[in-house]
Amino acid sequence: MIRFEQVNKKYHDKNALVNTNFHLKRGDMAFLTGHSGAGKSTLLKLIMLMERPSSGKVIVDRQDLSQLKRTQVPAHRRKIGLVFQNHQLLMDYSVFDNVALPLKISGYNERDSGRRVRAALDKVGLLDKERLLPQVLSSGEQQRVGIARAIVNKPKLILADEPTGNLDPALSTEIMRLFQQFNQVGVSVLIASHDLGLIQRLPHPVIQLDQGRISGPPSVMRQ
Amino acid sequence: MAFSKPQAAQNASRSQPENHSTRWLREHKEVVVSSWWQLWKTPFTNLLTWLTLAIALTLPTALLLLLSQAQHLGQQVNQSNHISLFLAPYVSLEQGQLITNKLVLRRDIAKATYISAEQALIDFKASSGLEDILTSLTENPIPATIIIEPAEAFLDSTAIAKLAQQLRQQEQIDQVLVDMAWLDRLQALLETSQRFTYSLAILLALGVLLVVGNTVRLQIESRKQEILVIKLVGGTDAYLRRPFLYAGFWAGLFAALIAGVILQLGTSYLQPSILLLAQSYQSDWQLKGLSWMGGLILVITSCGLSVLGASLTVGRQLRLIEPK
Repeated sequence: MIRFEQVNKKYHDKNALVNTNFHLKRGDMAFLTGHSGAGKSTLLKLIMLMERPSSGKVIVDRQDLSQLKRTQVPAHRRKIGLVFQNHQLLMDYSVFDNVALPLKISGYNERDSGRRVRAALDKVGLLDKERLLPQVLSSGEQQRVGIARAIVNKPKLILADEPTGNLDPALSTEIMRLFQQFNQVGVSVLIASHDLGLIQRLPHPVIQLDQGRISGPPSVMRQ
Repeated sequence: MAFSKPQAAQNASRSQPENHSTRWLREHKEVVVSSWWQLWKTPFTNLLTWLTLAIALTLPTALLLLLSQAQHLGQQVNQSNHISLFLAPYVSLEQGQLITNKLVLRRDIAKATYISAEQALIDFKASSGLEDILTSLTENPIPATIIIEPAEAFLDSTAIAKLAQQLRQQEQIDQVLVDMAWLDRLQALLETSQRFTYSLAILLALGVLLVVGNTVRLQIESRKQEILVIKLVGGTDAYLRRPFLYAGFWAGLFAALIAGVILQLGTSYLQPSILLLAQSYQSDWQLKGLSWMGGLILVITSCGLSVLGASLTVGRQLRLIEPK
């Protein structure tokens, strides 16, 4: 699903990623971990085409991203469900409208969109809160709205950047369980997290980044 | 839906996006409605923008309106071209009539009317309101006059100048007054006003572009977070651009409507004084307001300029906002 081949990313003089190689297979779920500044965000940004690599190849869903032009970036992003640490909800949109946003962009009509939004909200257990504004929700609920938005378009790949960063352990476990459920129906999932305690309790491979290099125990992920 | 596989497959056949043109139409309809509601989130700011635009539109439109009607008036006056001949004081009534009859025979003169000195004085008393002063005079200061209308084929300025020259050489004629000079002046004045108005219109059109561009820039700035999120979940440039182009359209529409109202109010305010002015020239000329056609052109121009102003800004401005 995701393949990095000899990827380097430099910002000015600083190396953010050095000779990175890894492969996340279709239907796999893995964690990406490391200290802040280790390159986790950079790696996710390269997948989302928020950045371009200085050298090397990033392939997502069999598509070499260096081949994509600026105008093709939106279509690429629509294939990926993205979950943020600070959830990035729009505060003047209702919960329903926040979740419906990717569908609206993809051109779904109201009827189909409504059905999918409610299914996604049902999945994260917030069906009864669709009319509320995000600011009246707890941070755990806000994060679940963010997750509903990421899955509403039925992406083949979910990327999450510190999805449990602001949550207490019980809520974090609950969020991770949600990701596992998506993974069980065939969605590939890559989660950047420094919550090592949580990660170690879960049976998924870990990609460890240290100063822009993949280090740590060799996992099935590494080539 | 959820992520159970069979159901997902089932859904896939039902909730596919529609075909391109119905989707395009529906999306535009949605944006028309949502951009309309967006307007009323900041009604005061929008009203200020619309008023600014309306003033920028009203000025050149009012001048163009006035100019087109003044030109019409100019043409009317042009058609009643005439030459006044003032006879020497020693010319008697009979002699004057004789001269008049001779003149009518000329090929280049259509009509010649003799006005005796007495008749001219009576006319002048009536129209000038200076009756008391004129009555107190012992001698009639006004000469006998012959008013000449040139024949149709000799109405151009060179023919009239030639005729005037020939008449001047006649001994009994004191003075020949051709109204060409002031007509030429009027034409030149109208021409100048026209050019002035066009330049003003271009400048103010540029003003409209800048005002709309700047408004849209501020709107984009205030919706930066929304734009970032939309970009991250895969919104295309066209999708992002659309609401701002429609915001421009609405601004243009409202500005044109306000400008129309200002023009009609202005017209009815000026009407009485213009009527008086026209009457003093024995004219029934009236200032007409904006016609339906004129109004339509105003709306189209205003909307066109505003959408152009928005589109010039929006592309560049959206490119500056990229998720980091």
